Amino acid sequence: MTAVADPTQGAADVGDDARQWSGPSPVGWLARGIVWLALAWLVLVFPLGRQAFEVQQYSEAVIFGIIGLSLNVLLGYVGQISLGHQAFVGIGAFAAAYVVSEQSQSFWLGVAVAVAIGGLQALVLGGVSLRITGLYFALVTLAYGLVAERNIFQIEEFTGGGQGQPAPKPEGFSTDWRYYYLCLAFLVIVMWIDWRMMKTKGGRALLALRENPRVAATFGVNVKALTLAAFVISGAFAGLGGALLAFNDTFVSPETWSFNLALIFVIMTVVGGLRSRVGVVIGSAFFALIGYLLDRFPVLQDALNAIPGAPDLSAEIAPLVIGPLLLLLTLTFFPGGIGQQIRPLQGWLAGRRFDLKDRGPKEVQITDVRA
Amino acid sequence: MSVLETLGVSIRFGGVYANTDVSIAVGEWEIVGVIGPNGAGKTTLFNIITGFYKQDRGRVVYRGRDVTGLAVHQRAALGLGRTFQNVGLVKGSTVRENLLTAQHLEAEYSMLAGMLGAPNTFGVERDLNERADAIAQIMGLGDILDSYVVGLPYGVLKRVEIATVLATDPDVLLLDEPSSGMGPEEAHELGDTLLDLRKAFGLSILMIEHHVPLVVRVCDYVYCLNFGQLLAEGLPDDVRNHPQVVTAYLGEDAEVPGLAAVESQIESLLDTE
Amino acid sequence: MDRIREHRGAVVAVAIVVGLVLVLVLAGEKEALVIGVIAGSAYGLLALGLVLIYKSSGVFNFAQGEFGTIAIYVLYLLHFRVPYGFAVVGALIAAVAMGVLTERLVVRPLFHAPRVTLLVATAGVALFATSVEIWFGEATARPIDRALPTLDRFSVLGVQISDQRLLLLAVLAVLAALLALFFNKTNLGLAILGASQEPTATELMGISVRRLSTLVWAIAALLGGLAGVLAIPEGGGFAPGALTVAFLIPAFTAAVLGGMTSLPGAFLGGVIVGIVEAVGTSASVFDGIPGSAGTLLVFIVLLAVLTVRPQGLLGRRS
Repeated sequence: MTAVADPTQGAADVGDDARQWSGPSPVGWLARGIVWLALAWLVLVFPLGRQAFEVQQYSEAVIFGIIGLSLNVLLGYVGQISLGHQAFVGIGAFAAAYVVSEQSQSFWLGVAVAVAIGGLQALVLGGVSLRITGLYFALVTLAYGLVAERNIFQIEEFTGGGQGQPAPKPEGFSTDWRYYYLCLAFLVIVMWIDWRMMKTKGGRALLALRENPRVAATFGVNVKALTLAAFVISGAFAGLGGALLAFNDTFVSPETWSFNLALIFVIMTVVGGLRSRVGVVIGSAFFALIGYLLDRFPVLQDALNAIPGAPDLSAEIAPLVIGPLLLLLTLTFFPGGIGQQIRPLQGWLAGRRFDLKDRGPKEVQITDVRA
Repeated sequence: MSVLETLGVSIRFGGVYANTDVSIAVGEWEIVGVIGPNGAGKTTLFNIITGFYKQDRGRVVYRGRDVTGLAVHQRAALGLGRTFQNVGLVKGSTVRENLLTAQHLEAEYSMLAGMLGAPNTFGVERDLNERADAIAQIMGLGDILDSYVVGLPYGVLKRVEIATVLATDPDVLLLDEPSSGMGPEEAHELGDTLLDLRKAFGLSILMIEHHVPLVVRVCDYVYCLNFGQLLAEGLPDDVRNHPQVVTAYLGEDAEVPGLAAVESQIESLLDTE
Repeated sequence: MDRIREHRGAVVAVAIVVGLVLVLVLAGEKEALVIGVIAGSAYGLLALGLVLIYKSSGVFNFAQGEFGTIAIYVLYLLHFRVPYGFAVVGALIAAVAMGVLTERLVVRPLFHAPRVTLLVATAGVALFATSVEIWFGEATARPIDRALPTLDRFSVLGVQISDQRLLLLAVLAVLAALLALFFNKTNLGLAILGASQEPTATELMGISVRRLSTLVWAIAALLGGLAGVLAIPEGGGFAPGALTVAFLIPAFTAAVLGGMTSLPGAFLGGVIVGIVEAVGTSASVFDGIPGSAGTLLVFIVLLAVLTVRPQGLLGRRS
């Protein structure tokens, strides 16, 4: 364990430094501006010139970002593991498709229904989590995912039996490019809501609740109500992700929502970095795009095929192979995930000094997960 | 009229009778001490008062109101603040964030409004931050507001914890061994702080303590618990010299008539060196 | 009377089993009963491994099923080239190797991490194993022959039981008893329990906690491998992730039902879960339920146990 230095002294040093550094120089501003513009171009302009199929992949990456953020609320803010998150997303997808195809309602109503159903499911599961904690709750979510796959998704009217449900894109956003911007807009909204939540009393109370529920209670936090609220938010975001996925693929089928997907969701959130919005979005997008990148850049394929005796690593299973390896790497060496690694860059882009040592709060051992 | 009372509170965990028929009272603006050997049931009593445990028998009355059915956060909303033996803070957050979180009930906007970024939330947040600054200044923590709690030294942590519980705007403070880990000078300063806080904030204080000089100096009334039962109560000096209290601390064979006699014996020994 | 109260859990468990048997026989669901017990023995074998690891380190091992899947894949690859018996040995060695590797590469570095982290890590191992199976073996399902071909030597309640199924049940019963004895009576077993509760004290007594950990995972992997090798050939075929998809959740439910710290409980739990699932699948009263009623019933059992009696039938309250 590293020795703990006198913190008041350290604070004084940082204070001195901060006082002496009065902001970036003009060159510093210019550099930051250029990077911002490059990022904006990459996200907003680059997809315009690409093929429809490729843009669909980018939309999926954006939607995975939303799903990652939803799982981050549970994993990162509340501290509960959900190994059945694909059920939330899948049910949202089917709900939206059902509303549009079977009930001939508008896309927006479909999305609203998906969000509501996602939140409702999560509320029920949240109620369960109040009675069953930690490891056992993870087990329950795993079993729930299986029930979704084997029972809920077999309901004929809801999911078209084994056939699946069609989900045509909405008017006004019927091209893949326009749909991409729609998804991007939703992602921005979700990130904003998450940001505001964590900056105000709800988010602070959640962090306190996760680490030390007894102390949170003495601060006046209604632990049960807040836990349920957080579950609902997570479920609502997941439902939104599901709805957007449905229309992106213009079709929803039960086979997509497997246990493997549940693990990919968890892995992409952990590797992205718990409690780091940008990290989670980057991690999720990466996992959504791995398969596509492998197809696009055969040089990566060749590198992997260099392993003797290994058949081609196809796009579908690449995330399944790479995911666990990255997960192990994150858990053992880089617990803060991608989010922790990019903190210096984030700080720099926000106009602060580039500080390689900025690694965020030291991870506090959470020992109250009762098994 | 007492601001906080327990009436005949009893609780049992399996075969252990942690509290038996404990009745204590804290008057308005009083500082009341609870002493007793380890395992006497003092923290259990605190847990019952604040709502972490539900007693088997008896009542907890706050400002004339029976709060037995209320949850922890509801009692906090009424004005019961408390500290913990192993420092109750959110260690993964900064001091400022702790002070803001503690003002949870003061933040006059709904969680939903906060999430959506309603305009009034920004003004309220500014107020909360100002209040956090003020409390930090009073407790001498202005320099470390943006430090993470997890790295701070123990003595500083205890001050942060007091600042945080003050931020919950309590009427009654329940302090669980506030002077633990402190030497004589620090404990003396703590006593000063408690007296000042009582005057400045109009607080009533109930504190579990082992530090006898602090108890004698600061407390208006003292209760002594042993094996879950009230052993003695009264003015600090009376309780401290009570033969059964001495026995409880020093053991059955202690023949000394009182702690005062022991202390003077030690002093005279030191004088002869 | 007092002894009965002490072993209340065991009494209830046996009562449940007897009750289920009677109900099913009376309702004419004898086939469900027999199939349930046999399927349950596979769940029980996996549950034994889960309880073993949980007892010794508090970890929920999500990769327990994949020890079995890897074993069956290796069995498949080998049984064309060498006699079946040798192929089985090879398969079990592969399972144990996977268990030891998991312990070394994943569990040891995270030894002091919260148990939740280890849960996610073992889930990652399961995913990795499945993905390797798809990668090298393609996603198709394949059949494999039984070890013991005789199908109709025995018949219970009018249902044919193959020799293989009997072997599975026998192996489970014997192992459950052996492991229980091991933990209660032998020095090594007690050392493992001691290491899980007081690692420092155990090290001070000259016992290597690390070696014990490896041993535990090796045994658990062996149990998983046995489950795969014995149970899968009965089911007709296997595909990537076979034991995880179909067996892991019932196995966990069995372990929870029996009590996560009780080895005999894992055995009993497995049998009960197997029967419940079989009833769900075959009983006509459940025909209206969309999809697989067995899955739903097992889920309900899990929820019920965790809310009403979280320590399971034979477990001890921590």
